Amino acid sequence: MSKTALRMEDSHAGPVCILSIGGRIDSGNAEDLLNRLNGFLSSGEKTILLDFREVLYLTSAAFRVLLVATDEAERNAARVVLCGLVGQVRELFEMGGLLEAFTVHGSREDALAAL
Amino acid sequence: MPLPQTAHIVIRNDVADLAALTTAMERMGAEHGMPERSLFQLQVAVDEIVSNVIKYAWPGADAHDIEIRITARHDGVEVEIIDDGRMFDPRDAPKRDKTLPGQRPRPGGVGVRMTKQLVDRIDYARMGDRNHTTLTKLCALGPAASGGGNEQDRT
Repeated sequence: MSKTALRMEDSHAGPVCILSIGGRIDSGNAEDLLNRLNGFLSSGEKTILLDFREVLYLTSAAFRVLLVATDEAERNAARVVLCGLVGQVRELFEMGGLLEAFTVHGSREDALAAL
Repeated sequence: MPLPQTAHIVIRNDVADLAALTTAMERMGAEHGMPERSLFQLQVAVDEIVSNVIKYAWPGADAHDIEIRITARHDGVEVEIIDDGRMFDPRDAPKRDKTLPGQRPRPGGVGVRMTKQLVDRIDYARMGDRNHTTLTKLCALGPAASGGGNEQDRT
């Protein structure tokens, strides 16, 4: 699994648009993630679930994107929800004081059951 | 391998060059048996500082060099980041405004806040027209990589 690339793959579970993210999110590629999220919002998606389970590395560039996208979602009467935050990646969310800033579920299954 | 040992790389002020920095950090981590968790945390902290330099140190779009010295010591790893951009001491970065209940934090300041928790020390000096920002992560480096087994070193 490449540590330097950002991988993104989308799918649907009923009305929920799921984006599986893997690899690395940093200031070099965070814009790609933002573009993808804005694309979902402009195509009318109302519930976007971001699965971080395969993210190996991220910097605050990822947090910036999530905060911007969450605001944009609100303007579109949509929501962005996170799941799969584990280990060192989850710790970074804690250090940034961001775990409370988003709606966070445990696993993808937990999230889908709650949405 | 005798310590301290320094690896030196120069990148441009372009986010595409962060990959070269990642490679250099990973090589250092492997050569000196740096614990995976310490390496991860140091890498994120270095990324935060270097990304800030790339984004904010220079007003225009001209190409500039950023010099990075990675030094493995017996008690940890030190990364010095040198740039000739505007003066910026990350230790002085304003603390983020307290988030009000029911409000999301604003993006600004999250990177510096994280960096302070990820490393054991942040040092800064302005020397001539350059910023020298040094991040120190304390950790035990692998005995195999640092010539362990030599009992004479203990005295």
